[in-house]
Amino acid sequence: MMTARPKDEVRDALRALNEQFAERLRRELPALAAQAERLSGDMAGERRAIELDDLRSRLHRLAGAAGSFGQPALGREAWRLEQRIARWLEASEPAEAGFGELAEAMRELARKDLSGAGDTAPVPSLEAEPAGQCIYLMESDPQACRLISQTLRTFGYQVQACHDLDGLEALFRQQPPDALVLALHACDALTRVKALQAGLERPLPLMVIGERDDFDIQLAAVRAGAEGFFTRPLDLTRLESRLARSLERQQGEPYRVLIVDDDADLTLRYSLVLRGARMEVQALDEPVRLFETLHAFNPEVVLLDLNMPGCSGLELAQMIRLHDDWLRIPIIYLSVETDASRQMEALVKAGDDFITKPISDSALVSAVFSHAQRARALSAALTRDGLTGLLTHASIKEQLLVEVDRARRSGRPACVVMLDIDRFKQVNDSHGHAAGDSVIRALANLLRQRLRRVDSLGRYGGEEFLAVLPDCSATQALRIFDHIRERFAELTFSAGGASFQATLSAGICETNPALDAGTLLEQADRALYAAKHGGRNQVCVAD
Amino acid sequence: MELKRILHVEDDPSIQAVTRLALEMVGGFEVLSCSSGPQALAQVDAFAPDLILLDVMMPGMDGPQTLAGLREHPALADVPVAFMTAKVHPGEIEHLRGLGAQEVIIKPFDPMQLAQQVRLIWQNSRR
Repeated sequence: MMTARPKDEVRDALRALNEQFAERLRRELPALAAQAERLSGDMAGERRAIELDDLRSRLHRLAGAAGSFGQPALGREAWRLEQRIARWLEASEPAEAGFGELAEAMRELARKDLSGAGDTAPVPSLEAEPAGQCIYLMESDPQACRLISQTLRTFGYQVQACHDLDGLEALFRQQPPDALVLALHACDALTRVKALQAGLERPLPLMVIGERDDFDIQLAAVRAGAEGFFTRPLDLTRLESRLARSLERQQGEPYRVLIVDDDADLTLRYSLVLRGARMEVQALDEPVRLFETLHAFNPEVVLLDLNMPGCSGLELAQMIRLHDDWLRIPIIYLSVETDASRQMEALVKAGDDFITKPISDSALVSAVFSHAQRARALSAALTRDGLTGLLTHASIKEQLLVEVDRARRSGRPACVVMLDIDRFKQVNDSHGHAAGDSVIRALANLLRQRLRRVDSLGRYGGEEFLAVLPDCSATQALRIFDHIRERFAELTFSAGGASFQATLSAGICETNPALDAGTLLEQADRALYAAKHGGRNQVCVAD
Repeated sequence: MELKRILHVEDDPSIQAVTRLALEMVGGFEVLSCSSGPQALAQVDAFAPDLILLDVMMPGMDGPQTLAGLREHPALADVPVAFMTAKVHPGEIEHLRGLGAQEVIIKPFDPMQLAQQVRLIWQNSRR
C-alpha cells in the first residue's frame, strides 16, 4: 500500500496540476466563447437547442472542476452561466436577445487572468474591470432615467432601463437581473412586482423610489421584497450604497460553519445540507483539535454535539468562551436532549441555541443561517466605519500588517495606497457637512465596486482612505487608481440646489521585503503628498 | 478491514489527475482510474476495489447507468459507491442516493480534504 506524503510535497504536486489546468483553460475558454457566439448567428431552432445543451454541460463540468484547481471564482461564474442556460432550456424558448450577452460573458470568462492558478488561494484578475452586476431600472421620466442610469454605470453596474411594467416584464422574460430599482406611483404596480419576484428561486434586492411615502405604499413595497425606499429629490449616493449592501448580502462570501460531532454519518449529512445552501463547512470529530481548527478556519458559527465521548459539548462551549477572540461566535448545540430544563442549563453556561435531532434539512439551514447572518452583521458593526461601511482605522491597519506579511511570504508584490479627497474642507464649507458626507460615501462605494474582494479598504481618517492590494504591482495599481480617479471626477453631487464635482489624489507604494508596514505607509503618504503638490487630481507612485 | 483500493470513474483527465493525487498522495490509497463506464465494468473484477467513485455526467454510459452495471457483479454487492457531481439542487442529491449510492460528493472538492471525506463514507458503509 502507498503511504500518505508530506504536505509540502502534495502542495507542490497540486500546484503543478493547477498550472496544467490553467493551460487547458487558456485553450478551452476561447473555444467556449466562440461556441456561444455562434448561437447568436443564423441557426435552426433544434440545432440551437442541441448546441445550448452542449454548452451547458461544458459549463457544468467547468463549474465542478475549477474550484479544485484553485479557480473558485471562475467556477462560480461558470455555474451562474450554466444556470442561465438551464433556465432557457427549461422554458424551451431560448431568449434571442440573451445570446449576445451570453457570448460577451463567455468572452469575459476567457479574458480572465489565470495566473493565480499556481497558488492555493488564487487572486482574481486586476486588469479586467470586474463584470458589473446587472440592474433593471424602471423610471418613466426620461431625464431622471438618464441621470440614474448614468450614475449607476459610473459605479460599475450594468444598467438596463425601461419605462413601465410591461417593459420590465419583457426584460425579466429574457433573464432576471441581479437587482431592481423601480420608480413607482401606485401600490398595484408593486403587486405585479411581487408576482415577478415570486417566480424566482429567491427574491432579488429591490429599491423602490416612491412618488409619495405614505404607509400603504411602503407596506406594498415591503411585501414586494423592497430593501430600500426613497423619495424625491433622490439621493443617488445613498441609493447606491443601499443597493451595494443588499447585493453584498445576497452574493457575499458563503458563511463558514464548523461542526464538532463524533457521529460521522450525521456530520456528513449536515455538511451536505449546509453546503447545498451555499455555506462553507468543516467537520471535526476530534475535540482536541478544536482551537487549531478555529484559528485555521475562522468559522462564523459552531455546531457542537452535546454528547461526545471524552468531553461534552457544554464543556467545549465553555472552553471556547474562555478566549476573548471567540466570545462573539454563535454556538449551537446539536442534541437528542428534549429536557427543557437541561437545555436551559446548557444555554445559561455557554451557547446560543439548541437544535434537537432529528432535524429537517430546512430547519437546520435556517437555524444556522440566522445565527451566521447576525454574527456577520455584528462583526461588521464593530470593525466597519459607520458612514462608509469600509474598515475602521484600527481594522485597516491590522489588515495592512497581515497583507505585508503575506506578500513577504509569497514573494509577490502588494501595493499600499493612500487616497484623499481634494480640497475637502471647501466642500464642507460651501455645501455643508451633509454634502461632504455624501462625497465620502460616493468615493467609498466607487472604491468598493472597482477593487477586488481580496483587496482591503478602510477609511483612514476624515476624507482619507487606505487600500491594500495583494498580488499587485505598482504599475497595475497606478492603472486602476487612475481609472478610479477619472470615474470619481465624473460624478456630480448636488446640495441645496447647487451642483458640484470633486476630485481625489492618491499615493502608491509597492511592498518590498526590506520595508515594514510603517515605512510602507510613510512612503505611500509621501507619494500622496507629491500628488497634492503636483496640482491634485492625480496619482503618484513612491520612488 | 481497512479501505485500500479505490476505483475512480471519470472522463475528464484533469479531474482524474487531481482526484488521483488527492487519494494517492494525501490518503495513501491505491487508485485505478477509468475514463468511462464500460472500461470500469471491464476492469472492476480484476481490481477488486473496496470503494467506487463515479462521476455522474459522462458521455455515453453515464454514472447512474454505470452504477446499474456494477450492481450486476455479485462480488461488488457490499462495495460502497459514491457519486461525484458539480453543484446540484438538494432534490437531485436525494435522487442520486435513491439509485443506490452511499453518498454524493459535491464538486469542486478540496483536494486536501477528499481522502478524509472518502474515508468517512467508507466507515459509514461498514456500520
